Amino acid sequence: MSDDNLIIYEEEIEKIDAVLGKMLKGAEAKCALMVDKDGHLITRQGFTHSLDTTALAALLAGSFASTKEIARLVGESEFSVLFHQGKKDHIHMSLVGDRSIMVVIFDDRTTIGMVRLYAKEAAAELGKVFASLADRPEEDNPGIDNEFASSAGDRLDDIFQD
Amino acid sequence: MVSINYATREVTCKIVYYGPGLSGKTTNLIYVHEKVPSSTKGKLISLATEADRTLYFDFLPINIGQVNGFTAKFQLYTVPGQVYYNATRKLVLRGVDGLVFVADSQADKMDENIESLTNLKENLAEYGYDYKNFPIVIQYNKRDLPGVMSVEELEAKLNPEKWKSFEGEAVKGTGVFDTLKMIIKLVLAKAQTSNSNKSQKLTATAEASQPEVSTTPSEQKPAAPVTPPTIAVPEPAPAAIEPAPIAAKADQVTVDNPGLTRQEVYRPEIKQEPGLVDLPDERENVSENSTNEIKSTRPEVPVGEPVSASSRPFPGSSTAGISRRERRITVSDFQPTASAPESETHTEQIPDEDQEIKNIESNMPKPIMAPSTRVVTKKRGFFKRLFGIK
Repeated sequence: MSDDNLIIYEEEIEKIDAVLGKMLKGAEAKCALMVDKDGHLITRQGFTHSLDTTALAALLAGSFASTKEIARLVGESEFSVLFHQGKKDHIHMSLVGDRSIMVVIFDDRTTIGMVRLYAKEAAAELGKVFASLADRPEEDNPGIDNEFASSAGDRLDDIFQD
Repeated sequence: MVSINYATREVTCKIVYYGPGLSGKTTNLIYVHEKVPSSTKGKLISLATEADRTLYFDFLPINIGQVNGFTAKFQLYTVPGQVYYNATRKLVLRGVDGLVFVADSQADKMDENIESLTNLKENLAEYGYDYKNFPIVIQYNKRDLPGVMSVEELEAKLNPEKWKSFEGEAVKGTGVFDTLKMIIKLVLAKAQTSNSNKSQKLTATAEASQPEVSTTPSEQKPAAPVTPPTIAVPEPAPAAIEPAPIAAKADQVTVDNPGLTRQEVYRPEIKQEPGLVDLPDERENVSENSTNEIKSTRPEVPVGEPVSASSRPFPGSSTAGISRRERRITVSDFQPTASAPESETHTEQIPDEDQEIKNIESNMPKPIMAPSTRVVTKKRGFFKRLFGIK
């Protein structure tokens, strides 16, 4: 598992973005994030410029992870859909495949029913994209090259100064 | 698990600070947050109880900027140290790339250190990680307090695996950056070695069965698929190499769909085949010289002929022998050409607008009813021209 790096190419992101975009349009939601269960943001669509998406991704993944433990305690393996209701904005999270979470943020211009409907559809489509990503032959998954590691190491001294 | 995103050109690693309760994990993060330049850090998020004890995790994203064309990001997490929070501690460990074990140097905390370290090993094992080969750095914290054990004693008790270790005073910041720098280096080194294992496998298979790949120009995928960050080297400088053909293709599509405007027709095409979207990007990444070479690599399928779905090399499919980058270019170039033969004549006329208008007018059936959309879609402002409106 430790070598199981998440590597995503542009064409895959474009496919994901296209599905998210279609879903946002259909459901009239504000924005959508694709987050992996480790808390990494994969991609985002819609009005996300005012959001701290990095932190959001980490927290949402944490929130999802904790509900998974809750699920286990009540005898479920995992809750596949999660919904947070606020005064104005609401968050709908659904599981995509086995390691990604689709997050839809929406307000009162649409309804939870619409979001659920389109999110379900989109999650099915995205599931296929992520499945193809997982099936990609290993030699197509380059990791980090030597140069990158050493260049990054050189930068650390500049940034981390007491 | 290192996350490499080629669309946003980001490499993200997750580093977790582990250790017994009150050993100074959160203090480490707070110090890092205070001292690094604001352009480098994100917001420090702390899910803590009212008594400022970490309840779930603290989170600090660090962005060390562009390295070989990729943005290197590190997400620093802490876990709750208290024994009874093991469930949440385990959750935070998911997908971890590197660990900092913050030990409390005080003699009476040794049991807690050992308990926490044992717990860490168990939790790592549950995720399938082998702690012996995992990037781990130990920080012996609180060196300033009276009654601390000597580093040798601590090493003997806590560090039989001989991980790198540092003395620290997280409150004052001593050793905090040394620890962080070391773990980042170890994480990157680990990602690199796991990659070089793969590359060995790759070269082995390449020697066995890769005559096609050897014909590919090296500019397309510099230095083989093993070195992704260097791919960024072909900067988006020669951006506008072929914007015209793209526009032309849009027109080609339009002509075949009378009754719809260019916009309306073109967009659904994108949705059907998202591969089309990366046309502009592809051209940005390919240097001017290599454009010709790329074309020369795909003469097998003549332009303008529809490519059958089965023969179309698609990203993600295991079409043997063709490198990823090459495949992508081939796909996106072929998408819209299904209707090419008929439409090419139209696109050639575009430069001479007036001539084209005259042609269109002379070709119109008389009497002029509503102008055929088949023709109208060719030109914007047709009605303005027709009625002489300026």
